[in-house]
Parts: sequence; structure tokens; C-alpha cells
Amino acid sequence: MSIPQMTRFLIPATVLILLLPPGVGAQERTARWQRSGAPTEVPVTVFHSTQSANLPTAETLGRGEWLFEISHRFLPAVSDGAGALWGLDGPVYNRLALSYAVADNAMLGITRSNLQDNLDLSAKVRVLASRAGGIPVMAALNAGVAWNTETPAVFGIEDNERQAYAQLIVDALLGERLALGVTPTLLNNPRIADIDAETAFALGLSGQLYLSDQASLLAEWLVSEDRPDLGHDAGTFGIELETGGHFFKLILTNSARMNPTQFLGGTPFEFSAGEWRLGFNVTRVLKF
Amino acid sequence: MPRTTDGRLGRVGLLAWFLAAGSAGVSAQEYHVDREGENRVTFRSRASIEEFEGVTDRVDGYVLLDGERLTPETGGDDTGFYLEVDLASLDTGIGLRDRHMRDNYLEVRDHPYASYEGRIVATEVVGDGRFAVSSRGKLSIHGVTREVEVPCEVEARGEGYRARCDFQVLLSDHDIEIPSVMFLKLANEIRLEVEFTVLPATPER
Repeated sequence: MSIPQMTRFLIPATVLILLLPPGVGAQERTARWQRSGAPTEVPVTVFHSTQSANLPTAETLGRGEWLFEISHRFLPAVSDGAGALWGLDGPVYNRLALSYAVADNAMLGITRSNLQDNLDLSAKVRVLASRAGGIPVMAALNAGVAWNTETPAVFGIEDNERQAYAQLIVDALLGERLALGVTPTLLNNPRIADIDAETAFALGLSGQLYLSDQASLLAEWLVSEDRPDLGHDAGTFGIELETGGHFFKLILTNSARMNPTQFLGGTPFEFSAGEWRLGFNVTRVLKF
Repeated sequence: MPRTTDGRLGRVGLLAWFLAAGSAGVSAQEYHVDREGENRVTFRSRASIEEFEGVTDRVDGYVLLDGERLTPETGGDDTGFYLEVDLASLDTGIGLRDRHMRDNYLEVRDHPYASYEGRIVATEVVGDGRFAVSSRGKLSIHGVTREVEVPCEVEARGEGYRARCDFQVLLSDHDIEIPSVMFLKLANEIRLEVEFTVLPATPER
């Protein structure tokens, strides 16, 4: 390359470099550093809580976390009016529960309801959490066994106080705000007053619309077989407030039965305005 | 990518020209964050009801010195640094709180990194191989950038350095909304501690 040729090349090159935008600064020129890898992937979320009002969701706690729950269902209907303080006078069914996450995707729970002194031990394992085509999807298996120590006085049922259930939970989040869940369920011995312990099928449907970072609306429907004393499907709707540790659910429902083997069997009350009952769930995540 | 926004066309052009001509005779040294080092970013929130902290080791970036090593003369426009923290990796110990932090406060899907980019202002020797380094630059969190000054304690460690920077940010400065309706458990003043190790940049690192 001759000197005039070099000059012809160098002058435009220098001009070009001088004209580079100031944004292409000294640091970028000299720092060889480059980001290694992508940012941490944000975990999949569908339902925020590990349970809807009564039905489980596929969500689990983080490993080592505890969840304490206290829930009430007020037995008198809202339609009983001011004299019963819309049901708040009671009596109430009470439920206390404690869960523990043995892994990020597995939790164990013990739950006690004063309805027939039902004591429930359960395990839930999340088997899937992914974004299938951009839609967050989660699936879990949930199973439990329950003992009723305060059984109805029916001859021959003394050995019939144990109940059990197994559920597949499939949840999906649509449009970032609407969580939907389907929970096909097998329930063994749904009605402990029966001498024979049958195994029945039930289908839980749940939905939750997240309105803001704290408030959401929830609804549940349980399709169950018609059986004596438990002739109706259970419907529930309510609001949920969350704080990052607590969930407060205030609900209206035609079922006052809370523990899984009790709720999943159906409800004696029709789903009509005259039969709605008030209830609440409060849960708190704890870590020691 | 980090960008400087103030115009220093002349110097940039000159430096670029030197680089283009392959005759960069500057004895500047580039240090990179040692990703395998003991890096730790901690934020602390002290609200009236609840105190908590979040932790991650996912900090990355570089430091450019105007010479080979840190000296009392280190500082000025020939120095530079860029540090970033992978926000989705922050762990407060409670999964639900992490989700709130990621989705509602930091909105990490839109703003995955917090970064601090700037220059060393002055370096003071405070002991054997120990320095007090003051820095100034642009702190970017939640997509909002603020000019800040951050003091760091720096200690020579082998070929590299270990730095510990301690400062405070206001969430309101970065348009991070604190839920005001109920259960106020997040303080507006957040204390940040950033500890990291840097090693001289090599062709592989």
C-alpha cells in the first residue's frame, strides 16, 4: 500500500471513528467484560396460594417453610339475618392446619377440623411447573388419609371412620391474571355413616382472578355424586388478600365442611342465596 | 450494555484511534468480578413491623483502573466500573415474599438487573493493602437511574481485590411503590451491602 493509498484509507477511518456516538465510550472500547449467561429465570407462578378456599392448588411452599392455617365456616346461613349476625353468632366449624415443605416441590400437612373431629394427614408433590407455549402451567399430586374420631351413632360403622383421597391438580394461568385449576379426585369412604366404604369420583374446579398485587377474586365448584345428606355440589366464591406471607380469604359458600374428605363428599345445602354461609381462611407462612 | 452518556468526544475519539491503530500504550488494567469468588449482595429493610433481608451471590461486572494497581493516585476519568446484580436471584428466605418482590416491587421481568456504573473519584490508603475508595456513578434499579456516590472498602487479595460497598437507597427514588393500604412491611430506606472479588482480566476471563 502506497502512502497516498494509506492516507485515503486513514482519513475516512479516523473521521468515522471520531463521528462514533459518544455512547460508544471509552469503557466499552476498553472493557472486555461481557455478561456471562442469562439472568435467573423467574419461577412459574399460577395460583399464589397453596390452596383455593377448599381445593388445593398445585403451588407448594419453599423448602423449609411452614404454613399455619386457621379457618372458620359459620354454620347459620347469611339469610338468617341480623338476629344471627348473618351467621357470625355461630356455631362455627373450625379448622387448624400446619404444613411443612420438605422440598421446594413437596409438602406434608396435618389438618384438624372439629366436624367429627376429623384429623387429616396429607402429602402434595408438584410434578410440573413450566411455561407451555408462554402459558404458565403447574401440575401436582395430592393425597391424604383422615380419621374421624367422633363418628355418628350408627350401628356397625365403628371400623369405618377412616377416609382417604387422591387428587391430580392441573393449573394454568391465562393472560397473567386468571388462574384456572382442575382437580379430578378419588375419594374413599365419602360418607362414614355408610357401612360400606365406597370409592367415589369428584371433580374440583377453581378459578382466581388477580386484580392487583394484593387482591384477587376466587371461585370454586365441586362436582360430587348425590348421596344421602350430601346431595349438592359445593360452590364457593370470595376475595383473597395477600401480603407476601399471609393470605386472607373471605368467602361465601353453600358448604360448611372444610377438611378434604368432608368437603369432597358434597354438601347438604343447595347452592342458592338462602343457603350461603360466611367463612374465612387465614394462612401465614413461617420460617424458623 | 453499559453506556456513558456524557460527551467526551475528543478523548473517546483519540483513544478509539489509538486502539484502531493498534498502538494502545495505556497501562490500564481491567479487573473482572470473580464469579467463583465469595460475592454477596444483601439488602435490608427495617420497617416498623418486620425486618428482613434479601441475599444473592449473582453480581457481575468489571473495574478499570488507570494503572496496574490501586494507588493513592487512582481516580478520575480514566477509571471506570460497571457492576450488575441479577435481581431474580434475590432470596429473602420466604418464597411468597420473593414472588412479591420480583413481580410487584422490582418487576424483574422488565428490569432483570440493577446496575451501578461510574468512576472512581478518589482512593485513600487506610492500611497495609487496604483502601478507602469513593465512587460516583449512575445507579439503575427498576428502570430508574440516579446519580449516587458510594464509598467502598477495598482490600488487596492476591492478584485482585475484594471490595465491600455499603450504602442506602430510597425505593421512592426508583419508582418502587410500597403497598400503602395494609400491612406496611417494607421500608422506603433500603440498606445495600455489595461485596465482591475482582481478578485481573485475562483472555479467558
